[in-house]
Amino acid sequence: MSAFTLELGLAALALIVFGASLVARGSDRRWIAGLATIGVLVLGIVSVFVAPTRPALGGMFVQDGLAIFAKRLFLAATFIGLLAGISTEGAACGRRAGEYHLLMLASLLGMLVLASARDLILLFVAFELMSIPLYVLAGFLKREDVAVEAALKFFLVGSVSSAVMAYGLSFVYGATGTTDLARVAQTFTRSQPLLILGLIAAFAGFAFKIAAFPFHMWVPDTYEAASTPFVAWLSVAPKAAGFVALFRVYFEGMGERAATWVPLAAGLAAITIVAGNLMALPQQNTKRLLAYSGIAHIGYMLVGFAAASASGTAMVLFYLVAYVFGNMGAFLVVEAVARSERSEATAALRGLAQRSPLLALAMLLFLLSLGGIPFVAGFWAKLYVFWAAASAGLYWLVLVGAVLTVVALFYYLVVAKRMYIEPPAASGGRIQVSRSLALAVILCALGVVALGVYPKPVVMAALRVAAPLF
Amino acid sequence: MSGLQAYLVLAALVFAIGLFGVLTRRNAVGILLGIELMLNAVNINLVAFARFNGDLGGVVFTLFTISITVAEVAVGLAIVIAIFRVRRTVEADRLDLLRG
Repeated sequence: MSAFTLELGLAALALIVFGASLVARGSDRRWIAGLATIGVLVLGIVSVFVAPTRPALGGMFVQDGLAIFAKRLFLAATFIGLLAGISTEGAACGRRAGEYHLLMLASLLGMLVLASARDLILLFVAFELMSIPLYVLAGFLKREDVAVEAALKFFLVGSVSSAVMAYGLSFVYGATGTTDLARVAQTFTRSQPLLILGLIAAFAGFAFKIAAFPFHMWVPDTYEAASTPFVAWLSVAPKAAGFVALFRVYFEGMGERAATWVPLAAGLAAITIVAGNLMALPQQNTKRLLAYSGIAHIGYMLVGFAAASASGTAMVLFYLVAYVFGNMGAFLVVEAVARSERSEATAALRGLAQRSPLLALAMLLFLLSLGGIPFVAGFWAKLYVFWAAASAGLYWLVLVGAVLTVVALFYYLVVAKRMYIEPPAASGGRIQVSRSLALAVILCALGVVALGVYPKPVVMAALRVAAPLF
Repeated sequence: MSGLQAYLVLAALVFAIGLFGVLTRRNAVGILLGIELMLNAVNINLVAFARFNGDLGGVVFTLFTISITVAEVAVGLAIVIAIFRVRRTVEADRLDLLRG
């Protein structure tokens, strides 16, 4: 198989979806959604058989273990996101299914290329290919005033961050005279002010994309206003892609010198954890609550990043896998409840355990995973990043993270209390969940439980792919 | 001031003016213009570095950033038009439905 199997397959799928949207007739074109979902599933199965190859395009494009690990994760997250979105209500989603899926696939293509990019130009192009469709998708419900407002905010913050990142990358190019990241890493030393300046500016751009504090302000608004299956995907896949790009630019080939970034990353991790968790406390809208808790989770991942070691990198990868299942699952349960209750407030979850015990149990699993309770995926994820940071000597950061975990547990358990202890509203019967959405929730729940009970294979795979970076 | 430095200072000024525009403008189109200036500062930087490093990579990079900027601004203007249709305003101060 060539190095580009997945990218070519995805590009072909995007073209098929585009062609299908041209020939489609009538106002209900949901079959295109099915087509795209099955296509991504097939690509996901193909990705299992993809093996590392030698760098292609003169070293620009690397298909190494890290790239393949990340691509499998992106495909899995996109499959769950598309599956959950199939049965979305509303005439716009039926009539414009072609555009919606074409944009999703274009963004996914950007992520796949980004995971393999080891050249500044390819990195920037892939980053923008990933980001630009997201702005359109955030405002996809263009008749709703909150959705377009959120899209504008997302677009403005996103493109300013792209400009800052590009400005930083231009200094990296200027200081080293090459766009090849492998050669940038070779020439990198601490005594090059221009290069350090460029990499720090680029770091700010990346921090916007992964939504670390203080670059997070687009997150709650976009999450609240955009359609929930898309938000579930937006909250995990682009973040994962951002982290892979961070590893490529700041760690790969740097060896011992990667420690240069420890103070920057540790500081960012600490304020992101504190700010995300404290801002989540007063939220009454479940999607906003998950948005702020998501910011906090980015902080925990930055703890692993701050360790600047192979084990730290591997643990961030494991955290990302756990986060994909836990966070997407929580958003999808919110979507299931919102479809019948017409509300995304935490109050809409009242008495869920009496109305739909299985849905409530799934939500409880996701909340416990996000909170970091033993024997669901999130516990191991937190434990491992803390362990990696502690072995790098960042004890204060571990302490901050551990203390704020308790705060996080409080607001997750408040939601759990609403589901299990408070009585349901008088009108509440059983919540009807469409089959595709139920399947997506079940997949997430299985992922959370399987990783919680038996995390070893994924941890080993993450360690294996992270080791060659250093 | 050597040749390269002059270009870098120019780019930094253009970047700063763009950023200032983004932060102070109230009109969404004005903010878009600021973003455009910031991206053009990147192009000046890249071309200057390419010239003084004697390497064509920067020029290629510039071609890519120009085309990406066009795509980005096209999407941005489309969002501005969509928001104008719904809200009849593009003043950033009055787009405050989402709070918390």
